Amino acid sequence: MIEELRAVLGEERVLASPLARHLYSKDAGVFRGEATVVVVPVTTGEVQEVVRIANRHGVSIVARGAGTGLAAGAVPLEGGIVLSTTRMNQIYEIDPVNRTAWVGPGVINLDLSRATAGLGLHFAPDPSSQAACTIGGNVANNSGGPHCLAEGSTVNHVLALEIVLADGTVTIVGSSAPDEIGLDLRGVLVGSEGTLAIVTRALVKLTANSPDVRTLLAWFDSVADAAATVSGVIAAGVVPAALEMMDQAMTQAVENWLHAGLPTEAAAILLAEVVGETAAVEAEADLIRRVALENHAEVRVAANEAERALLWKGRKSAFGAVAQAAPNYYLHDTVVPRTKLVETMEAVYRIGDKHGLTMLNVFHAGDGNLHPLMAFDASEPGMLEKVQAAADELVELCVKLGGALSGEHGIGREKRDLMPLMFSPVDLDAQARVKEAFDPTGVFNPGKVLPLGSRCFDVGGKLPDGAWV
Amino acid sequence: MKPDVPGLPDAEITAAPSTSEELAELLAEASAGGLKVLVWGGGTHQGLGHRVVPDLVISTSRLNRLLAWEPDDMTVVIEGGMGVADLEARLAARGQTAVLPETAGEATVGGVLAAGISGYRRGRYGPTRDRILEITVVTGDGRIVKAGGRVVKNVTGYDLPRLVVGSFGSLGVVVSACLKLWPRPNAAATVTLNDPGRADLVYRPLSVLADRSSTRIFLAGTQAEVESQASRVGGVREEGLVWPPPLPGETTWSLRVAPSMMESALNRIPSDADRIGQMTVGEIAFSSARLDGMVDLRGWAESVGGRLVITRASESFYELFDPWGTPPPALDLQRRLIGAFDPRRVINPGRLPGGI
Repeated sequence: MIEELRAVLGEERVLASPLARHLYSKDAGVFRGEATVVVVPVTTGEVQEVVRIANRHGVSIVARGAGTGLAAGAVPLEGGIVLSTTRMNQIYEIDPVNRTAWVGPGVINLDLSRATAGLGLHFAPDPSSQAACTIGGNVANNSGGPHCLAEGSTVNHVLALEIVLADGTVTIVGSSAPDEIGLDLRGVLVGSEGTLAIVTRALVKLTANSPDVRTLLAWFDSVADAAATVSGVIAAGVVPAALEMMDQAMTQAVENWLHAGLPTEAAAILLAEVVGETAAVEAEADLIRRVALENHAEVRVAANEAERALLWKGRKSAFGAVAQAAPNYYLHDTVVPRTKLVETMEAVYRIGDKHGLTMLNVFHAGDGNLHPLMAFDASEPGMLEKVQAAADELVELCVKLGGALSGEHGIGREKRDLMPLMFSPVDLDAQARVKEAFDPTGVFNPGKVLPLGSRCFDVGGKLPDGAWV
Repeated sequence: MKPDVPGLPDAEITAAPSTSEELAELLAEASAGGLKVLVWGGGTHQGLGHRVVPDLVISTSRLNRLLAWEPDDMTVVIEGGMGVADLEARLAARGQTAVLPETAGEATVGGVLAAGISGYRRGRYGPTRDRILEITVVTGDGRIVKAGGRVVKNVTGYDLPRLVVGSFGSLGVVVSACLKLWPRPNAAATVTLNDPGRADLVYRPLSVLADRSSTRIFLAGTQAEVESQASRVGGVREEGLVWPPPLPGETTWSLRVAPSMMESALNRIPSDADRIGQMTVGEIAFSSARLDGMVDLRGWAESVGGRLVITRASESFYELFDPWGTPPPALDLQRRLIGAFDPRRVINPGRLPGGI
């Protein structure tokens, strides 16, 4: 098989050395797989050939962007070909009038915004990993980021996709015009974590840079006050562009590293940003300030772009700053209804205490998406089990509170077996049929998203009483 | 007994289930019997797609409850048969909106979702499919399937809610849906522009609509913002959002192109046709009973990556002109997907592009 791949891609773009396979067998999370071989295609035609070769040999394909994923979505757990998109990194065409661009899946998120900055445009989804993560990865994970509160996540910014299907054929789904007819295949592909097709090009929507912006930092003596501020702002009819919260432990970690003058004695800090015309941002920033003050906050408004950038640097380097707190960390991703934030935060600390783990919290307060970060030392005996137990307990609680398994990181392998917490066997079977319709032989990213055995009912049959599922 | 729903077509059997379990039993039987089923909400968008001659008409009129509303979470869960206007009125009382079509008439939420319809405010908030969080459908063979979640940020399994939007029942009847809400803006104004180009001076207007005589820009936000924008664009100002009435005429169309093609598109539709052009979105709804020229217009639209579809016409019209145009690619894949939800193809068979 490797010979056939080399015949198509050349020696240099087929990596079979133990080192290469080792490097590509892991993403940024905790799972490790075992790549059979790594291929680095440049063209859509090459991707098609790889799929055909994989089919001929009955080998699976795991697509990979930058490998910044945390849920093992790009980890070849069942061996197979790792298809790296890093060389498919061209921006093919920017349409400044329609504000769209055709890009390869390997284009780095931040690079796209940099390339369009001169036109007064940017790509709205801005995950913390945006300096490394790729558009293809954003599509696979329906990536979010702080500015997704008002803008929506990646799926709201993808108009069309060129994809290679499991049989090696290529097609384009979606359209540059609104409301394409037929089923919204584009819609279901975003967030499908590489299990339905391989994206070889994407038509993305670019967002006009806002004429003005105001960024505020508010700090509170209690998490409850911070959460009440979030609710109060939204109840007043303002949906900020971003509304981020960090707890004291996280703020201290960041301040130790960044020295940005963050208030380390506060129980929680809130970073709020509003965008729009000057009249709008002044009115909205004023409202946010008033609501925060009503909730016993102290407030600082960024006076200029430099201050604003520093505030955001603090937020976006939260995960990196934690490295000083402990040798290892497990970054969690859960989501609850916004009104359950305080309850969930309290549970996070309680679960941490129970299992002897340090918890640091940063989250997208506006949309209830939490990122509790568990700091620990993996060399301590029994620690990994504790971390896993705490993680499971947290996820179960979030689901019970009306949340979901993942706000942004995806299911991958990490949360695959927790899917029955959210979905019945009939629900999972329906999703398995979607997978089956796209990928009848299971060549793309097997063992991810859906638990094994999800596909279990006969077509058209009713579920018999007492059936084992 | 035939339910008292205006416009409900005649069929051998008509049913109006009141629970999803009843609907599931009904569809399971329909599937077993190989019946053709038409689903009827408010009957407002039945003009889209190929014609279906049903054996069974299912009215969703009794699946019309508001199930859960969390104003602080900005989500609402409703049954598919609930009226759009009814829902929006209730949400408005708490200063919220689901951003559903503004001139909804009798439309139901389920119908709007199934037909993939968006309101004019999509200019700012995006299409309806951007606000669906969770969906429960009853499939053609009587399974009750739920997907998504009741939170605004979610990557948990496949985005079936999005796939169901615009699927015209082929993936199941929408029995309930959880929608993301937005706050209603504090201030709003509608300005009839003297110079349409001045619409570009506004950052993210709610909508910009062109008709035969004028272009109107819809402003919404804080009071200060609306004042600032209204004075900047100039023209005749009215308070609030004055949406155009529905298009008259028996035959109406939707021309869809990338926004940069809108000027060209407006010049190509019959000059005497009443029309509503969403300038920042790329959609023109127009009324014209003429067939001549439509083949060319569709040819042009498709050549620039767009579509010309029929939204309403007499029965005989559909025999003369395909309602959708050239089918989209990946029809086999779409067939397989539909087969996974409706193996005997009972709900709206043949309605979708490609006759699937």
